[in-house]
Amino acid sequence: MNFADQRLLRWGAALSALLLLAAACGGDDDSDAPASTAAPATEGLTGSIEVSGSSTVEPITALVAERFNSAHPGVGISVEGPGTGDGFQRFCAGEIDISDASRAIKVSEVEACAEAGVEWVELKIAFDGVSVLTSPDNDAVSCLDTGDLYALVGAESEGFRSWSDADGLASELAAAGLGGSGAPYPDAPLVITAPGEESGTFDAFVELALEDITEERGQDEPTRVDYQASANDNVIVDNVSSNPTSFGWVGFAFYVENSSVLKAIEIDGGGGCVAPSIVSIADGSYPLSRPLFIYVSLSRLAENPALGPFVDFYLGDGFFSVAEAGYVTLPDDEISATRAAWAGVG
Amino acid sequence: MTARTMGSRVTQEMLRRALEGRRVNIVNPLVALTLLISLLASLAILVVLLWDVVAKSMPVWQERGWSVITNDLSPRPAETGMIQGIFGSVMLTVIVVVLSFPLGVAAAIYLEEYARDTRITRLLVANIRNLAGVPSIVYGLLGLSVFVKLILEGVLGQISGRTLIAGGLTLSMLVLSIMVITTQEALRAVPLAIREASFGVGATPWQTIRHHVLPVASPAIFTGSVLTLARAFGESAPLLLAGAVLSTFFAAPEGTPITDLVLGEKYTALPIIIYNWSRQPQQEYIALTAAAIVALLVILLVVNTGTILARDALERRNRM
Repeated sequence: MNFADQRLLRWGAALSALLLLAAACGGDDDSDAPASTAAPATEGLTGSIEVSGSSTVEPITALVAERFNSAHPGVGISVEGPGTGDGFQRFCAGEIDISDASRAIKVSEVEACAEAGVEWVELKIAFDGVSVLTSPDNDAVSCLDTGDLYALVGAESEGFRSWSDADGLASELAAAGLGGSGAPYPDAPLVITAPGEESGTFDAFVELALEDITEERGQDEPTRVDYQASANDNVIVDNVSSNPTSFGWVGFAFYVENSSVLKAIEIDGGGGCVAPSIVSIADGSYPLSRPLFIYVSLSRLAENPALGPFVDFYLGDGFFSVAEAGYVTLPDDEISATRAAWAGVG
Repeated sequence: MTARTMGSRVTQEMLRRALEGRRVNIVNPLVALTLLISLLASLAILVVLLWDVVAKSMPVWQERGWSVITNDLSPRPAETGMIQGIFGSVMLTVIVVVLSFPLGVAAAIYLEEYARDTRITRLLVANIRNLAGVPSIVYGLLGLSVFVKLILEGVLGQISGRTLIAGGLTLSMLVLSIMVITTQEALRAVPLAIREASFGVGATPWQTIRHHVLPVASPAIFTGSVLTLARAFGESAPLLLAGAVLSTFFAAPEGTPITDLVLGEKYTALPIIIYNWSRQPQQEYIALTAAAIVALLVILLVVNTGTILARDALERRNRM
């Protein structure tokens, strides 16, 4: 019995020693924290870079970051994707170096940054197309215009449980010259799963497909609210593919990865029906294409010696990662424009 | 031992015959059957779950072998691995053990053996029980505002407080109340006669606790701690709030010493990796997610078995 007790006691002593040691290290560490982050200088760059923001842009930045890290192992990098809005919140609080964004910065976010004294530069890095989806079994629907999209998911569509419920609204829109040429719609359940308000893909869909008509009709809500919103794109893909008369939208890369179980609806922006593809997104003929950005904090650029070289790398070899991540590379003149915007900062 | 139970079973059987005669008792076998079905149902759920993840993860083990365990995270699914998550989870567990085990056990000893039964004590105990029922996400908020923002970034002035130590402190808070409660129960189960005998020969309260109460209670305390640690190991929600990296790629500067990895660098944990992989678009991640779940289960199983063996060894020593 005694034996075991002594052992227990010894364990206890060891644990408390560990605890003290940890506390002591903690005390040491914070006094020279800025120095220690720059300390393990093997050769070349050191420091750390923190990126957050859009989950759509995350795969591109993550690939760039991995390449950069293998070239400069002394630099620590983290890339997160909680959503464009969340990213800007931390960006404008001065917490992160780069904010990934699947839409341009909003006025309210510009103000927040200005208030906190965070200066930034916007760099366009790629194109994405919002892909409007249904199940491959849905033969009745293959092309929709923006009027159709508004009739199905716009502010006035609240309560429509079947595709055909939107027929009346579509003909009203057609009479006003706002589209709606896809009607009459099939008499089948309309099951919608799509991104929620925190998502840049939601914002892009609203801006590109719905906003004009919403304004024209004098509505306040950007979309109907009675649909299943999910921040997890795989949930959207699952729900859309498992229901034969479903409806939803995701970023182009998600559609490409799952194109065997999904059907992308062609979109008519006034120039005929166009399916989302690398070609149609790059030349702008697909109506729901949008640019993707990174926002670099100039305030952090001054303090962080690794940030400048990282952005240089991003705008150099980094552009190869755009296609690898499933997005559409910028045309040459846009690449030059982005590089010029960055050169103007340095 | 066995002879005695056998004997009592024979007596029971004789009694039953004497009382019931030849009538058949239906209720008893029915109850036994229902209970058995309940047991089988919960086992079946577990087996189906295990079979599902193991089957789904097989392609990964066959194609990747150990590299899926030992590689760092990568945005390329063919090269990614979970070692950063395993390191994070193990270090988090170590921090939780170091902090909440001594604190929780000490608090429980005070409450059970020293504190007088006043209104304040009863209020304290009721509060601790309530804390154990608070959803884990709330502890995540606490960790973010207190450990990350207030202490690490505020008082200590770190650039980013989203470090392993902040996550470990958060999880320690989460399990501390449960640790106190399980230890209290273990101490309560020690027969009062043991304490009385010890006091009777003139032992002080501390001598009684150290030499007589704790040795008897330690196996139960151990069991409680193992369950508590398993819970901390599998938590993801509070860590997400308290700053674990939810990412397909992150890297600390090469050559960072382990103390800095704990105190000054970003981290992730195995449950976070499972969550993140499950929401990636590429098909490969379905199998990778299953593989990460298998890894988590295996680590939990190894840790639990190890602790149970240690507990049994302790129990045998105590009997001698």
